[in-house]
Amino acid sequence: MNTDRYYLDLFKVSRTQLEQVVATALSHGSDYADLYFEHTTFFNLLLKDGVVSSGGFHTDYGVGIRVLKGEKTGYAYSENTEMADMIKAAQAASAIALGTEGNRTYCPVENTRHDLYPMERNWRDYGADAFLPFLKDLEKEIFSRDSRIVKVVVRLSDSVTDLMMFNSLGELTCETRPLGSVSVSAVFVQDGKTENKNASRSFRMGAELIGPALLKELADDVVRGIDARFEARRPKGGQMSVVMGAGASGILLHEAMGHAFEADFNRKGQSIFSDKMGQQICPKGVNVVDDGTVAFNRGSGNYDDEGVAAEKTYMVKDGVLTSYLHDRISASWYGVKPTGNGRRENFRYNPIPRMRATYMESGNADPKDIIADVKQGIYVDEFSNGQVKIGEGDFTFFVKSGYLIEDGRLTMPVKDINIIGNGPQALADILAVGNDLKIDNGTWTCGKEQSVAVSCGMPTIMVRSLTVGGEQ
Amino acid sequence: MITVNETDIARFCIEYATAHGADAARVSLNKSVMDGYTLLNGELDKVTHSADRSIYLYLYVDGRYGTFSTNRLEKDELESFIMKAIEMVRMLGEDECRCLPDPERTEKNAKTGRELDLYDESYENNNAQTRLEKAKSISIFSKTKGCDSYSLISEECEYSESVDNNYVVDSQGFEGRHTETMYYCFAEITIKAADGNKYSGFWWEAAQKEQDLDCSKCAVKALGKAAGQIGQKKRRSGNYKMVVENNVASRLLSPIVSALNASAIQQKVSFLEDSLDKKVFPEGMTLMDLARTPGKSGSRLFDTEGVATKDCAIIKNGAVRQYFVNTYLSKKMGIAPTVEDLSRPVLMPYIQGEDLSAEEKEVSLQTVLHKCANGILVTGFNGGNCNPSTGDFSFGIEGFAFSKGKITHPVREMLITGNIVDLWNNLLAAGNDYRPSARWQIGTLAFQNVSFSA
Repeated sequence: MNTDRYYLDLFKVSRTQLEQVVATALSHGSDYADLYFEHTTFFNLLLKDGVVSSGGFHTDYGVGIRVLKGEKTGYAYSENTEMADMIKAAQAASAIALGTEGNRTYCPVENTRHDLYPMERNWRDYGADAFLPFLKDLEKEIFSRDSRIVKVVVRLSDSVTDLMMFNSLGELTCETRPLGSVSVSAVFVQDGKTENKNASRSFRMGAELIGPALLKELADDVVRGIDARFEARRPKGGQMSVVMGAGASGILLHEAMGHAFEADFNRKGQSIFSDKMGQQICPKGVNVVDDGTVAFNRGSGNYDDEGVAAEKTYMVKDGVLTSYLHDRISASWYGVKPTGNGRRENFRYNPIPRMRATYMESGNADPKDIIADVKQGIYVDEFSNGQVKIGEGDFTFFVKSGYLIEDGRLTMPVKDINIIGNGPQALADILAVGNDLKIDNGTWTCGKEQSVAVSCGMPTIMVRSLTVGGEQ
Repeated sequence: MITVNETDIARFCIEYATAHGADAARVSLNKSVMDGYTLLNGELDKVTHSADRSIYLYLYVDGRYGTFSTNRLEKDELESFIMKAIEMVRMLGEDECRCLPDPERTEKNAKTGRELDLYDESYENNNAQTRLEKAKSISIFSKTKGCDSYSLISEECEYSESVDNNYVVDSQGFEGRHTETMYYCFAEITIKAADGNKYSGFWWEAAQKEQDLDCSKCAVKALGKAAGQIGQKKRRSGNYKMVVENNVASRLLSPIVSALNASAIQQKVSFLEDSLDKKVFPEGMTLMDLARTPGKSGSRLFDTEGVATKDCAIIKNGAVRQYFVNTYLSKKMGIAPTVEDLSRPVLMPYIQGEDLSAEEKEVSLQTVLHKCANGILVTGFNGGNCNPSTGDFSFGIEGFAFSKGKITHPVREMLITGNIVDLWNNLLAAGNDYRPSARWQIGTLAFQNVSFSA
């Protein structure tokens, strides 16, 4: 791990200068101010039509300055760290306090020091030539798996972010976050019909990510289930029992419930859960977690983007709503400790409560028994985008593939359907939780105002009834 | 505004890159400023000031290609950045199709960036106080008490002003500028109905010129959207006529636009492969790209390659007339280049069985509801997807049932499912009630025989 000196030198500032900028930010009588220094290097390679004929790198550098007066936020940033420019940005942000009533106490946090993603091989130490053989081998491996494949695209991207955070409580927090991702897509043609499949892996780790194990996993994933995809039809739509397969169905949890647990929506009274703290909101035995401490996970951070250490937060324990997901603002408002969920896309944005790795813990049921218990329903195992209305709790998510369940058995493959429901109702309607929790390590990105890397997970679960789109 | 010093930096990048091994290069310098004011329940909640400046560098070296960007514009840093970039491009695979566009095709008249009248001079006179006043003018929180059927939970209002500048220069001599201002207001209101359920609604307005932005109705419309959902009922699954409001209608056109992109066609993930000059859509359906209309959102003189845009038909009377083909894909696919993508789509008015060419007939939401008589009016989409290879789609919807041309009640938890080409071949009407502020000029739409699940 780098020392504080490394970061101070990188951003060309001294501790005294940090204090001067913070003092300027507080000059109109604000309650709290923080500085967020960021230096990110991005790198990407694209293999298409057999050639890595596109690639590049990108640099982003700057400092975001936030000022809080009560819960009100003033925010400005500078794309360089010269004192004059930082002072100017601090003055702009400090204006929030002018003529604003009310104040609030922001308390220091006791941080546990994590090292969740030590890099064995720093991405910054390697050029494009280090990864070209991997991309070509992966393409070759995928083509070798299925003669129906006519196109393969492979993308590799990585980033390394140096962060230094300093606030008016005197807390200086520094860290370096890596993120490496590989995604593949393949186009299959059979009897004049075209299908495409995607697979991806993303981790907070160094270039040691790139290797034979990843290559095999992605090749396996991208061809898995393609026969069923060609056979798949749309089912008759309507209300039916839905069994969610382990892993990627965690997107349901993220969209349908997770956003409604974010404390900003609750503080403003907008969430469906804003008056349900301490209440039973789903069956006993159900535990819903947002976890920033999963080693190498895409959603993890040693600290959040306010300098609060990562933790594992139970939103629902044994069916009872026990916590929202807090940044410093909402934690102060509710009089609780921040949960390490203050996250942001980059220094251009102020932090807000965001999820990290959101999952439901395993239950006791055997997944085979869960399917066997369904007379008529649908089993879903591959998802893409979802959406939720926070106030109503209404959600949808798109099922790329799955199967009909008839008399306890998986029968006809299905695809390209939407499922719609109400989050709290779906939680309350959970009839069984499998013993097979799986975290999905795909390139999930949440887009609430800003884009941040997240992940999700789920054991196999059965929901009594949801609306499934289909033919009439 | 982009300064002389900054245009010099952009030109320096071209000169330095070509002097150190690049065969050709393009630089795009982007600079923007945004001031935003957010109110929560009528009180100032957040003030944001943003100022961004970055350079994108497109390098062609020894038949290879790479893209790079940085917001570090100091000369010494740029020199090492460019040297590293050239070194990286040399590691990539050769691809003879990578090159700059034919200079004949590039725009020649984008000299000031203001040719399209998208810049509002009054922007320079505004200050924090005037912007805060505008933000406050959106709010209705203190004036709205609720009623028997609902109470107001929260109101969030946002007002922002921004200016975006783009300067593009390449090693063949192309030079182009684009400048535009944007004024934007937004309101989101959450209410609690008498039955305890919460509903939220939002509305936004945007304009290139300050005088064209009306903030006063934004929160009222958001409240109307929220309150309109009270009393939702499930409607039985079945095939219905579907009317789609103008503010969300673009959702059903965007899969077609994506499928017309040469990139999707070349990668065989387009359901409109081999559709050029073929009648795929109904007679009378015409989609124009009116890229060069002064003062209108989305207008631009050149695309990201510097290629001059032109006003043209994308779909004419149901036949596909143009793919979006950039220089690279033109060479790769052996077809004529066009522009990289759509600028300002305009779907021309249409009513099945009527000839609208001879008269300036208004085709509004009311016209379309009356024509359809019974069905479901879609006012919002909630998630969903369209398979790019097949065009099969499924979208969550929200809206209202209507009967005899009149809205009866809001519907709950409904999905539409089908194939996007089939859907458009069931087009009954396309309105000309375009939202003035929208880049996509798509009016009210109506389709028959749409499959709804509930």
